[in-house]
Amino acid sequence: MSVVVGWLDEYFWGTVVVLKVFGLALIMAVIFGLIGSAAKLSKIRIARALANAYTIVFRGTPELLVILIIYFGSAVTITGIAQSFDPDIQFVDIPPLWAGALAIALVVGAYMTETFRGAFLGVDHGQIEAARALGISNFKTFFYVRVPQMWRLALPNFGNHMLSVMKDTALISVIGLEEILFVAEMATTVTLKPFTMYLVVALIYLAITTVITLAVAGLEKYANRHLESAR
Amino acid sequence: MSFDVHLIIDSIPRMLEGLGLTLALLILSTIIGLVLAVGVLLMRISGRWFLAWPAMVYIYIFRGTPILVQIFIIYHGMPQFEFVRESILWPIFRDAFGCCVLALSLNAGAYVSEILRGGVLGVDQGLLEAGKALGLSTRQRFVYITTPIVIRLALPAYSNDFISMLKATALASTVTLMDMTGVARTIVAKTFAPYEIFIGAAIIYLVMTWFIQKAFGLFERHMSRYVKKET
Repeated sequence: MSVVVGWLDEYFWGTVVVLKVFGLALIMAVIFGLIGSAAKLSKIRIARALANAYTIVFRGTPELLVILIIYFGSAVTITGIAQSFDPDIQFVDIPPLWAGALAIALVVGAYMTETFRGAFLGVDHGQIEAARALGISNFKTFFYVRVPQMWRLALPNFGNHMLSVMKDTALISVIGLEEILFVAEMATTVTLKPFTMYLVVALIYLAITTVITLAVAGLEKYANRHLESAR
Repeated sequence: MSFDVHLIIDSIPRMLEGLGLTLALLILSTIIGLVLAVGVLLMRISGRWFLAWPAMVYIYIFRGTPILVQIFIIYHGMPQFEFVRESILWPIFRDAFGCCVLALSLNAGAYVSEILRGGVLGVDQGLLEAGKALGLSTRQRFVYITTPIVIRLALPAYSNDFISMLKATALASTVTLMDMTGVARTIVAKTFAPYEIFIGAAIIYLVMTWFIQKAFGLFERHMSRYVKKET
């Protein structure tokens, strides 16, 4: 285990990168999920069709493939645009961190769309009618009436989606992001102790997922506190 | 920057050569995973702590770490040990295909056993009491009452897990296997046309998910044919 000590700071910065990707991807995924579920529940047929296409495509494509499409695809596009200005440019890409976070957010956002849709349907329709009768605008109804009631219903699935976001961050090492799996690969080439190095990665992930699980359990308790006292 | 539709059509047959490997990974690891899952489930619900605890630790570890990390630990990590290299299992650990099947099965085992446990908990106690009153033994009750109901209750979640497994097989391309994603990545490395090739691969995955969903839908209808439909 002593070989790991020399690499601890590398692992630490790798973990910071992982957490950064996790935060970015989670925020984007929630936004995609909210937009997607709003589109799925809207009366506009084109919005519904687009949202359905979105969920079908991103739930059926492997995450790794989405990451590769977004990273290499955007690299080719941006390089093409850059070369039309300056033919000497060889290769431009968007940073792997952003490409990876966007790809993960697109995939998990598709799952969140379904979760949020179900949760929105779980909110009593009388509440929305009451808001309308009080003359509250649609926008305010969405954020002050519907979202506060739906997140309680969405929480258990949301916790699982958070875990998927966390675990998908490991895939971004494939496009060269220097996160913990990448650190372990580097450490392996130097120390020739692959098992030890990858085990450290697994333990870091296990620790983070444990924290997420516990946090979600706490949030669930908090969200359902009014039901506890009623019993 | 151009988008070549012909390249998609030309590349799909070449990627279908990788389909065999993808399917082999999928089918082998789901079968082994299912057997594992049933074993772990029986340990978990046995009511004996020395059986239930190892099962819980196994599920916790494999659900809390990314599959990619598990594949790397098994493929790159295990050969670190002398006894693995000298054991009779070395042909499995030496081979990338064996490692992937092992990692995916272990992973599937953890997830599926949780799905099955949800099904077992969903079985109506009254039915089991009725079975007891009719003089069925514990084993008979499990085989003839619990099992058919669990299959019906667990199918929707299991079909989702099956699709996750299909998506997880794409990770085999990170350990040099030439599955569909692997073939796509080699073609991209030669042609540098990421959009066309990766989207072609994504289309094949989408068609496969569609088939899987249809097949599970039919099976689900067959299994719940005697359940009263809510109209």
